[in-house]
Amino acid sequence: MPLSARGRQIAGDLRGATSGVSAGVLGCEVVRHEELCVGCGRCVSACPTGAMRQDDWFDPAQLFSAPAGTGRGALAAALRRIARHEPSGPFRVPDRVRTFRGILFSPDLCAGCGACVRACPTGAVEAFPVPVGEVEEGPRALAPAGARP
Amino acid sequence: MNVPAVAEAEPTALAVTGPKAALPAVAATEVRVPPARVPEISASGVPVSEVIADAADGERSIVAFLCRECAYSAADAAGNARTPLPPTIRTIMVPCTGRVSPLHLLAALAEGADGVYVAGCLEGQCHYRVGNFHALDRVAFVRSLLESVGVEPERAAMFTMSAADTPRFVATARGMDATISRLPRLPRS
Repeated sequence: MPLSARGRQIAGDLRGATSGVSAGVLGCEVVRHEELCVGCGRCVSACPTGAMRQDDWFDPAQLFSAPAGTGRGALAAALRRIARHEPSGPFRVPDRVRTFRGILFSPDLCAGCGACVRACPTGAVEAFPVPVGEVEEGPRALAPAGARP
Repeated sequence: MNVPAVAEAEPTALAVTGPKAALPAVAATEVRVPPARVPEISASGVPVSEVIADAADGERSIVAFLCRECAYSAADAAGNARTPLPPTIRTIMVPCTGRVSPLHLLAALAEGADGVYVAGCLEGQCHYRVGNFHALDRVAFVRSLLESVGVEPERAAMFTMSAADTPRFVATARGMDATISRLPRLPRS
């Protein structure tokens, strides 16, 4: 994802930072909340580095933890009425079923741009600023808001 | 007398909703979940629970989602020819089998159907090009889902036929009826 003018300005102020893909140097740490995910895959389309991708497998247990009022929640409610036992392990999803898949996140590939956070409609992807101590020679720009001078 | 009151009330309302109004404070932990549109499953405006409600005690009911372009025509021809069909079959017309979502199939089962099937165009002959391929994969997904919770996957099935293939429609309806009548009743909580 290309940086905005403000992003380039911040990157220019940072020693050792680049405006390209540089994991851990500039940006945020991404945390996924599996139980809120509705599997729409928007984070996957938004991710510029391929850190987010859709799995070929789906764990039905994920349906049962989905919030009510979502499509997955409605599916779980219907399935729960006829279920004979708790769902067994994950199964392979056919090619053309796109929304019922797990989302895999690889922190190693993540550039910390936050595109997935902005793309997520349910708030299942959250970003935290990388603490200043973890950025090599990075100045205050990445410190939490309260720590700024 | 009402007019001045409205005129006085309006600026207040504008002030509240105007762009300068402070945005409502959102707690950091609050999560915004958009309301999902749960498809209402109905046949010509009749909910699926009513479609299968007329089943006699102990009688099975099978909900068939039929593509308007082919399988429904085949069913129509079967009806016009007064071909006897199993009394368990309840048909729901869909514009294309690509409209049928996993939720349609599972909700029909949860609402009281003992089996569901989707009948669409022959492979490669979908009027909307790929609708029946989507339906095939969704039915396969529902079968995996049923299997994972201990329900017989045979309760969901997909068939393809041409609009003129009335014998095949009758054969699939009778075959599905035979399959479902061999299975035990579906437990519902």
